[in-house]
Amino acid sequence: MNVALLSESPADEAALRLLVEAVLQRPIRRIEPALRARGWPNVAQVLPAILRHLHFNTDAHALVVVVDADDSVVHAADHDRPGYFHPRCRMCQLRAVFRQTTKKLPAARGRERVLRGVGVAVPAIEAWYLAGRDPEVTELAWTEGQQRGRLPYTRAQLKYRVYGTDRPTLPHEIDCALREIRRHHGDVRRIEHDHPGFASLARDLRGWFPGPVAFEGQSGKVPVTDIKI
Amino acid sequence: MIASVAFQRFKALRNAQLVLGPFNLVIGPNGSGKTSLIEALLRLRLLAKLPLRSVVAETERTLEGPEITFRFSPPFDGLEARLSCVSDQVCDLLQVAPRPKGEGSNDWPGLRSRVLRIRGYVLDHHAIAAPAVAKEGAELNASAGNLAAVLATRQAHHPAAFDRLVADFTRIAPEFTEIGTELGEDGRVRFRLRLKEEDTWIEPDNVSQGTLYLLAMITLAHDPDPPSIVCIEEIDRGIHPRMLREVRDVLYRLSYPAAFGETRTPVQLIATTHSPYLLDLFCEHPEEVVISAKHGATATFSRLTDRPDITEMLAESPLGDMWYSGVLGGVPENE
Ligand SMILES: [Zn+2]
Repeated sequence: MNVALLSESPADEAALRLLVEAVLQRPIRRIEPALRARGWPNVAQVLPAILRHLHFNTDAHALVVVVDADDSVVHAADHDRPGYFHPRCRMCQLRAVFRQTTKKLPAARGRERVLRGVGVAVPAIEAWYLAGRDPEVTELAWTEGQQRGRLPYTRAQLKYRVYGTDRPTLPHEIDCALREIRRHHGDVRRIEHDHPGFASLARDLRGWFPGPVAFEGQSGKVPVTDIKI
Repeated sequence: MIASVAFQRFKALRNAQLVLGPFNLVIGPNGSGKTSLIEALLRLRLLAKLPLRSVVAETERTLEGPEITFRFSPPFDGLEARLSCVSDQVCDLLQVAPRPKGEGSNDWPGLRSRVLRIRGYVLDHHAIAAPAVAKEGAELNASAGNLAAVLATRQAHHPAAFDRLVADFTRIAPEFTEIGTELGEDGRVRFRLRLKEEDTWIEPDNVSQGTLYLLAMITLAHDPDPPSIVCIEEIDRGIHPRMLREVRDVLYRLSYPAAFGETRTPVQLIATTHSPYLLDLFCEHPEEVVISAKHGATATFSRLTDRPDITEMLAESPLGDMWYSGVLGGVPENE
């Protein structure tokens, strides 16, 4: 499976790759060169050009994009009703860019479109890293905090909890991110449970394969049939 | 080490103040005082080399001349250093006076030894690539033109520090695997880099400018006995935007050694840039960003965190985009 990953740093990308492989239960081949964006709203601005490039010029089957929610509106179930999108929700915005861009592109390289994988880390990807380690860090805790007007933690605090410093080097950041994800031994249900912004990404990824979802969690690794895309 | 600098009539800095932190990234248009700030620090060092003059009566000083006042952080916050003029428009008089409060009010020798370790760099890739006199390798000079000698000296006298330097460089520039130095019969040292792919050595004049600047900065960052203050201009020069994170971290190593597992005294850093991409990397530490602005012939400094709305601003856009747009100031007045 040829997957392009759009992220903000090599550390995010390394983590994302592990997460995607854990959900798909198979290794991916990453599209080169690595794609980078400069945070929000740059990701959304550059996304149409990236989709167009991947579609016509590469053998990418799919593009995975993960952004930090920062202080934006967190995606909620009621955003998912047909024809609706929340203008200040990054999940809704990225999905809309995917939709609008891919529908304009004619089929190319033997495929209709580049498949979508969108995740939003609330408030930052370090929250995902802390899943199962720091029970107070959940998307629900954050959204409740937003409603109360008192956030349970800051992004800086999350980063400190993961890296042990507020100025990690890139290799240290990568080491910490991979260590935290490997803690889940390929079973990402805890992250999905605590972080619906990750669960949405996982649903996107599993939706790449037609038929019944082959993933059945930790009770036994169910091999995903190789699907030719 | 330097807590603040106040300028009176010093070039475009007619009346400007700046509080300095451990790491200071100064952004602003050309001619807005970034270089003047660095010049002021280097002038302080220059005058500190001379014996201190006793207090000069106001009548002897040119009161309409420039004046620069430095205050220091503990353990030297009990002292104040003032540069002013006796006869002309060039600051040529250093006076050091105790302050009403603070430590070290009688320790000018202690402070002076730190002031003498202030260094300014304007890296020059031609100079970096050239052979260097072997015995001049104790510390990097202003252009890093003695890099070859510094590398050779480091390798000979601080092999562990040299190995860390090489490890850091080859991690950041993985196309290289080794740094070699060679002493010629002319008493000059040359350095070269081993290429990973062809397993051959490459001479520095065939290495990109940005790579040479990076190597110079990494050499500085791994100096076992670094300067007290490092002023370095255009730290993004020649460097690919995706590599700027590494440049920032190389310099952070100097200012925040504890974050890198090192125990030495932190080096205060003053760096300038014109890169919005580099500025993006400071969104989590806006307190490290200084904006120099020019209004007509007058320049001023402010910290990004002086703005009451900076938290809200940072939620909206990358810092570099905001700077470019003009909402942060620090942009040319007339184009
Ligand atoms: Zn939404």
